[in-house]
Amino acid sequence: MIDALWGVRCVVGRYFDVFTRGIVYYLVTTFLEPILYLLSFGLGVGSLVGNLHVAGHEVSYRAFIFSGVIAQTVLFQGFMEASYGAFVRMYYQKVYQAIALTPVTMSEVLWGELIWDTAKATSASLVVALIGVVTGDFPPLALLTLIPLCFASSLLFAGMGLAAAALARSIEQLSYPQYLLVFPMFLFCGVFYPIDALPAPLRAVAWVLPLTSVTSLARWLTLGLPFEPMAIPILLAWMVALVLLARRAMLRRLIK
Amino acid sequence: MPDDAALLRVTHLTKRYRLRTVSAGPDHLEAVSDISFEVRAGECFGLLGPNGAGKSTTIHCISGFYPPTSGAVTIGGFDVSREPRRARQLLGICSQEDTLDTDFAVRDQLVRYGRFFRIGKPDSRRRADALLTRFGLDEKAEAPIESLSGGMRRRLQVARSLISDPRLLVLDEPTTGLDPEVRRVVWQVLAERRAAGTGMLLSTHYMEEAERLCDRVAILHGGRILDIAPPGELVARHVGNQEVAEEVRPGVVWRRPPNLEDVYLKLTGTPLEGRDRD
Repeated sequence: MIDALWGVRCVVGRYFDVFTRGIVYYLVTTFLEPILYLLSFGLGVGSLVGNLHVAGHEVSYRAFIFSGVIAQTVLFQGFMEASYGAFVRMYYQKVYQAIALTPVTMSEVLWGELIWDTAKATSASLVVALIGVVTGDFPPLALLTLIPLCFASSLLFAGMGLAAAALARSIEQLSYPQYLLVFPMFLFCGVFYPIDALPAPLRAVAWVLPLTSVTSLARWLTLGLPFEPMAIPILLAWMVALVLLARRAMLRRLIK
Repeated sequence: MPDDAALLRVTHLTKRYRLRTVSAGPDHLEAVSDISFEVRAGECFGLLGPNGAGKSTTIHCISGFYPPTSGAVTIGGFDVSREPRRARQLLGICSQEDTLDTDFAVRDQLVRYGRFFRIGKPDSRRRADALLTRFGLDEKAEAPIESLSGGMRRRLQVARSLISDPRLLVLDEPTTGLDPEVRRVVWQVLAERRAAGTGMLLSTHYMEEAERLCDRVAILHGGRILDIAPPGELVARHVGNQEVAEEVRPGVVWRRPPNLEDVYLKLTGTPLEGRDRD
């Protein structure tokens, strides 16, 4: 157990070393995107829409979008790093194969990959939360209460990305989960508008997808919108299922 | 030599791959069938065989990367399936495929790899610098991997397999793509390691390399070991000591002493070149 933890730590150390070598690249690719969304939708669309009435609460559209972008950041950062990033490491660079010939095992390599992807998405989403606190849209305490949510949902989408990387035959095939899962979630799971606005069947589909639970919980923690109890089991079930699928599929692909 | 001196022991190793089945036909491929051999400390053991003979599969099983279907592999007495960490702590591998980490420059590459063997950073740096000097890559220490030529990449990968000062070194086609001068440098480093007691398993296509480096050679064909002996003994046993006459181009016949290549061709019945990988 101690050996396994050491192995995982060592793999995360490799990612951290790459991170510190290309810090500008990471800052741009990790934090610029959510900040652009915040500016564009928060200031642009926000000034047109004004306030929203959601479940008996009145909130500014800017605050509504800011908390939606927390979920969007977790989704994009978690999925992209674990799908395209991991595919390149596994298929082109053969980083996994090289490390798994040392005393570090393939299982530890995969945990290290997931933990790094999760840490990266979590930190990016917390930066969005920090901006919301600075602008006065979120209470300062939200920075703490969001940590477990951001971590669990980052792990969920990292698991989705890594599962996609494990199952894709070529890097082009990663477009399928991106267009069939990630973009629909981005557009239909409450990032930009309350899903109550959707027709009932579409709303039901939105609730099955994991991002709706994330946006719902994020708005509860940041804006005090009503807590939806079913969001927690949905999120945890997806998280466990995707992490298990990712590990299983990746081990099956690499170890013959 | 007593059996206990074996650094690497492969016992009745069989490896079958599952295939993506298309209704009919077998659902698995037996790449290695019941092979046994051992490598002792300070010994260089060669694995010769055409592509698809099972060399790479054998090496993947030795590293514990692929679990054996049956049989066992132990390194320094540690079973690679049951105690992979302890077994691999003793093992350095230079894979056939290029697995250099392109996110790191040349020296950092080695230092980072040493960390996976629990070598402290200062120590890992010292070892990395010594290896770079030994392999003539000093000037490239800070260079990105992409800027290296194919031969330099190969050298760096051999160097990387030595960072942990392994007791058992497994080299899968280590000198492919190296020019003769550099190949000699690699051979020399390997000879030094061997003199220091490192056991070596060498998979190669170069018969000259096998004859020059290996104390014993196994001829692998169709997943089975056809014979194991010192190169000279293999030659005497299978082709005798008669000179071989070979028509190298129309009308030009060379006469030469028999060598390992003759043994290889006789036993496997296939020329080395022009075969596709499985």
